[in-house]
Amino acid sequence: MDALVLYWNLVPVTLVQGLAYALVALAVMIPFRILSVPDLSSEGVFPLGACVAAALIAAGVSPIAATLAAIVAGFFAGVTTALIHLKFRVHSLLAGILTITMLWSVNLRVLGKPNQPIFGQPNLFDWISPAILMNLNLQILVFAVLLAVLVGALWWGLQTHAGLALRGVGANPSLAPALGVNVVLYTSAGLGLASCFSALAGALLAQQQGYGDVGMGVGMLVNGLASVIIGESITGRRTLLRQVLAPVVGSIAYYQLASLALSIGLEPSDLKIATGGFVLLTIGWPVLLGRKTPASRAF
Amino acid sequence: MSPNDGDAPAVELDGLKLAFHAGTPDQRIALDNLSLALNRGDFAVVIGSNGAGKSTLLNVISGALRPDAGSIAVDGVDVTRAPVHRRAAMIGRVFQDPMLGTAPALSIEENLALASMRGRRRGLGLALDHAARSRFAALLEPFGLGLEKRMAAPASLLSGGQRQVLALVMASLVRPRVLLLDEHTAALDPGTAALVMQATQRIVAEGGLTTLMITHNMAQAVEYGNRLLAMDAGRIKLDIAGAEKTSLSIDDLVRRFAGDADHVLLRSRANMAAGPADATGAKG
Ligand SMILES: Nc1ncnc2c1ncn2[C@@H]1O[C@H](COP(=O)(O)OP(=O)(O)OP(=O)(O)O)[C@@H](O)[C@H]1O
Ligand SMILES: [Mg+2]
Repeated sequence: MDALVLYWNLVPVTLVQGLAYALVALAVMIPFRILSVPDLSSEGVFPLGACVAAALIAAGVSPIAATLAAIVAGFFAGVTTALIHLKFRVHSLLAGILTITMLWSVNLRVLGKPNQPIFGQPNLFDWISPAILMNLNLQILVFAVLLAVLVGALWWGLQTHAGLALRGVGANPSLAPALGVNVVLYTSAGLGLASCFSALAGALLAQQQGYGDVGMGVGMLVNGLASVIIGESITGRRTLLRQVLAPVVGSIAYYQLASLALSIGLEPSDLKIATGGFVLLTIGWPVLLGRKTPASRAF
Repeated sequence: MSPNDGDAPAVELDGLKLAFHAGTPDQRIALDNLSLALNRGDFAVVIGSNGAGKSTLLNVISGALRPDAGSIAVDGVDVTRAPVHRRAAMIGRVFQDPMLGTAPALSIEENLALASMRGRRRGLGLALDHAARSRFAALLEPFGLGLEKRMAAPASLLSGGQRQVLALVMASLVRPRVLLLDEHTAALDPGTAALVMQATQRIVAEGGLTTLMITHNMAQAVEYGNRLLAMDAGRIKLDIAGAEKTSLSIDDLVRRFAGDADHVLLRSRANMAAGPADATGAKG
C-alpha cells in the first residue's frame, strides 16, 4: 500500500519526465521507423543540447537563442552521423557510436568543465512565466503543449511531398533515387531533424534542472527505445498518426512503469538492467514464439 | 538538364565500355564498345543469353553504373556523369523483382504521389489531396485490377503482378524520355505476365514512350516492339527494325541469332512448344 501511495505522489514528477523524454523517444523513432536507418546518437546529442544551452546561458546569451543554438548543434550532429554512414559506408549504428564518442569531447569543450550550473540564470521556463518552475502541473502543461505542436508538425510534415520522399527513402532506398530523390540529402535531413528533437530535450532539461552536464545522456537511448517499443505496442503502427504518437504514449508509459518499479522497491541502480531486459523481452518473445511481429521488424 | 526537343535521338549511346573486376583474373567485360541510337517512340526489345550485358546496359543508362568509357545522351542531353536521382527526371524504370519497384510500407496512393514528383522539386505542399487521389484512381482503373478501390492499402499487400502494374504506372506517371524494363515479367506466372505485358503495351502506346525492354521470352520479343536488339558478350549482335521486325517469327530469330546464345533461344523455343503463354526461357 505504501508503495502505491509513494508511486501516486510521484505521478506529477514522472509525468513531466515522461513528456520531456518523449522528445528523445521521437528522436529514436524517426531514424528507426521513418528512415529505416537505426541510429544511436541520441546518447551524445542529448547532452550536446544541454551543454550548448547551459554554456550559452552561463555566458549571458538569451535562453531563446541558447535553445535555438542547441537545436542547430543537434541538427549538425545528426547530419554528421548520416554523412559518416553514407559517405564512408559505415553501418549506421557504428556511425552513431563514432558520433557519440566524438561528441563527448565536443561537449566537454563547449562546457569547459564537466558540469555547468545555471541556477538563477534566465531560462526559457521563467521567460514564459516565472510560475512554471515552481509548479509541476504547469510544467506538464508546457511540455504537453510543446509535444502537441511538434508531433502535429511532424505528422503534417511527413505528409508533404518532401516528407513523403523522406518516408520513401526509408521504405525503399533503391527505388528512391530512381524517382529522383537524393538519398544522401534526405537521410541527412532526416537524421538531422531527429537530432534536433534530442538536442531540444537536452536544452530544456538543462534549464529545468538548472545545470548542464556532459554525463546527462547515459542510458538515454535505451530508455527512448523502450519508450518506442511500449508506445508501438499500445498505438500500433497502422497509420502515420499512430506511428508519430507512439513515442509520446510510450515515453509516458515507460516513466510510469519505471516509477512503479522503483516504488515497489527496485534499486535505481538496477533500473537500467530492468529496462534492457524489458527491451530484450519485447523484441525476443515474438521470435521465441516463432513469429516476427511488425513491432520487432526493424529493431 | 532540360531536355531539348530538337532532332536528337531519344537515347544515344556512344562507345560504351564497362568491365567488372578490370585487371584481375575475374575480369568480365559487360559492355564492349557498344553504340546504339533509339529514335523517339522506339520500343526496342533486348534479348541475349545470361551474362550478355543486358542489365548492365540498362544500369548504365539509368546511372546505377558508370561506364569506363563512352557517353550516354537522353534527348540530346549528356547524362554520362549525372547521378541516378538527377537523371531520374528523364528515365522511368521497372525492375525484375516486384519488391523493388514500389515502396512496400507506403500506400498505393502514396507510392503514386511519390512517383508524381519524379524530377520535380518536392516542397511542403500536401502530397495527397482530393484532386490527386481521384487523378491517381483514374490512372489505375483502366488496368482492371481493382487497385483504384484500395488506394489506401499498403503496397506490401499487393501481389507480384499488381505491384508490377503499379510500378509501371509509377515509372510513366511523369512522362519519361525513356522507359527501361528489365525482365519485368520474369518473376510472374504466365497469366500474370501476359496481363502485365498488356499493361506495358497500353502505357507505352498511350504515351508514345521510347522503351527498352529486356526479356528472355521469345514470344514477347517477336510480338512486342518495333525493334529487336540481340546482345552477346557486351555487344549488339543483331538489330532488326521496321517491316522486318513486324514479320519476324521465332524461327527466323533462332536462325539469325546463332552462336553463343543458341541454347537460350532453343530452350525458349522448347518452352514455346510446351505452352505458348510461357516462354520465360533460361530465367523461367
Ligand atoms: N555486380 C557485378 N559484379 C561483377 N560482375 C558482374 C556484376 N554484374 C554483372 N556482372 C557480369 O557482367 C556480365 C554482364 O552481366 P549482366 O547482368 O549485364 O547480364 P544480363 O545480360 O543481364 O544477364 P541475365 O540474362 O542473366 O540477366 C556478366 O558476365 C556478369 O557476370
Ligand atoms: Mg539481367
